[in-house]
Amino acid sequence: MAEPLTVALPKGRLIEDALGFLARAGYAVPANGDGGRKLVLDGADGRLRYIMVKPADVPVFVEYGAADVGIAGLDVIREAERDVYEPLLLPFGRCRLVVAGRGDRPDLPLRLERSPRVATKFPRLTEAFFRKRGVAAELIVMAGSVELAPLVGLADLIVDLVQTGVTLRENGLVELRTILESQAMLIANRASYRLRAGVVRELIDGLAGVVRGT
Amino acid sequence: MSDRTLSADRPLPEGVRDLLFADAAAFRAMTAALQATWLGWGYREISLPTFEYADTLATDVGAAVDAEMYRFFDRHGRTLALRPDMTIPTARVVGTRLYDQPMPLRLAYVGSVFRYEPPRAGRQHEFTQAGVELIGAAGALADAESVALAVGALQAVGLPDFRITVGHVGFFRGLLAALNLPERTTARLRVAVDRKAEAELAQLLGEILGLPPLARNAVLTLPRLMGDARVLAEAEAICLNTTMMQALSDLAAVAGLLVAHGVAERVAYDLSEVRDLDYYTGITFEGFAPGLGFNLVSGGRYDELIGHFGPPLAAVGWALTLDRVLLARELQGISHEEPRCDVLLSARDCPACLRWAAQARARGLRVELDPLGLAPDALWQAAQARGIPRAAHHTDPQTLTVRDAAGARAIAAEDWQEVAAWLNR
Repeated sequence: MAEPLTVALPKGRLIEDALGFLARAGYAVPANGDGGRKLVLDGADGRLRYIMVKPADVPVFVEYGAADVGIAGLDVIREAERDVYEPLLLPFGRCRLVVAGRGDRPDLPLRLERSPRVATKFPRLTEAFFRKRGVAAELIVMAGSVELAPLVGLADLIVDLVQTGVTLRENGLVELRTILESQAMLIANRASYRLRAGVVRELIDGLAGVVRGT
Repeated sequence: MSDRTLSADRPLPEGVRDLLFADAAAFRAMTAALQATWLGWGYREISLPTFEYADTLATDVGAAVDAEMYRFFDRHGRTLALRPDMTIPTARVVGTRLYDQPMPLRLAYVGSVFRYEPPRAGRQHEFTQAGVELIGAAGALADAESVALAVGALQAVGLPDFRITVGHVGFFRGLLAALNLPERTTARLRVAVDRKAEAELAQLLGEILGLPPLARNAVLTLPRLMGDARVLAEAEAICLNTTMMQALSDLAAVAGLLVAHGVAERVAYDLSEVRDLDYYTGITFEGFAPGLGFNLVSGGRYDELIGHFGPPLAAVGWALTLDRVLLARELQGISHEEPRCDVLLSARDCPACLRWAAQARARGLRVELDPLGLAPDALWQAAQARGIPRAAHHTDPQTLTVRDAAGARAIAAEDWQEVAAWLNR
């Protein structure tokens, strides 16, 4: 039997859906999914090997070829800006990357901001968004709890992921602009896409079939 | 010894590295193998300056490479740059100095190139490229020679598993011409095809009104046009104009010649390759190895470049990144042994030793001298610590006491048959 195809999966909110889609495409998936502590798991049918990594690391594993393919949110893929193929969008993990500010912020277009301090976990996308509008934003890169920053005067604005908007509202923040509509995506290593074209194509078409059926 | 960490005091700039011992030896060996390979095809080596006027090097390279160039000033305030690749300086030499030489010209080079780019696997800001350019010859025979030589080069550097994918800029250019989309849509289409983003392509087509079904089908089929030479026949079904047909017939001719070159099983075809669409004018190709998501070798036909420097001349060529080949070999379990000495010879207060060493070297032996005057046991330990399989010292000018894993014994120093017998044991 040939080596299994290695799939990098993001630990966290996308994992259940990702495993569900792979199972419906006919691949054996690990039973306890994200629950276990093992980071490398073999599918029982020997077709796929799963590696469980932090979401933001999925594009890195795939670009370097440590994984042949991976599933990650478009948000982390665009932020990582890695050289990978993007053969398939998957209909889960939908969220928006938005610019938000305090509800009592003066009603001023973003392009007229002088040099707003912007807290975010997405420095590259944030920087690109503001630079495109000619605004010299001062980035405050954070690892978590970005919503807190405007409340305590650390930042004027935030750029963060929003699913329902409840967290923002509860913290007195309002959405000002959407930077990116995100959802899960299948990505592939450029060499694997060519050297293992048959099995990669099978996976793309299998998942595409499931997507069409949803 | 002080236990102070010295390395913290002298950091290296980002993007450069030292190659030590086995790695340096591997680079040297790969370079020698490449030189032997291209000499076998009649390529002649040139050595080019590391820096030139920035304007020259920025010719026709595209915005991405332009932004990655290392620029600096000379004493007159003119802007210089470190070469970001070898093809531009080669084109400059041909266009300004070699244009009236008998054609075709076959040129080859090895050297460092410099780019400010995010360090990626097997590529720093300074990395080593080896490449060839076949100049003054258009057509399938020249294209196929370049691809076959790329296969030969990757085999020569000892890479067991790799594949070269060949495409043609005419196919996608023809498709874009047939679609006749607004500039912005074209740019989005190009990005989507570059990323093989099938869903995005479908979405994009949904936004374009009034596109004929044939054109729509051509775009959606494009990312699947990858595989062995049969895809060239499959692709005929989606051709929308003569530009696309011409690209396919060019590729079919190259594919036939690659079978004759005996390299067909190393080659695949990829019609959705749209990288460097503005630079290349005909076939393009990239070499990949398992486990490395970056190309090892990249090349194609660029008939318009030399015309920027002199009379226009057809050209096809490729460059290979040695740093990446080294990495790909490691991933495939190929290690490179550093060449080691045959004998560690005690040389303190011993003119006879130096004479013996000179004679031995003249016979092709590698002899390292011990200048410290180590006692026999310490000498043998020192040899083992350096990976040298034998130690020797003169007990008198005619007698050599030799030591290896099998033990110690005395042999006549000038009896080269006996010495050879000992070495080959």
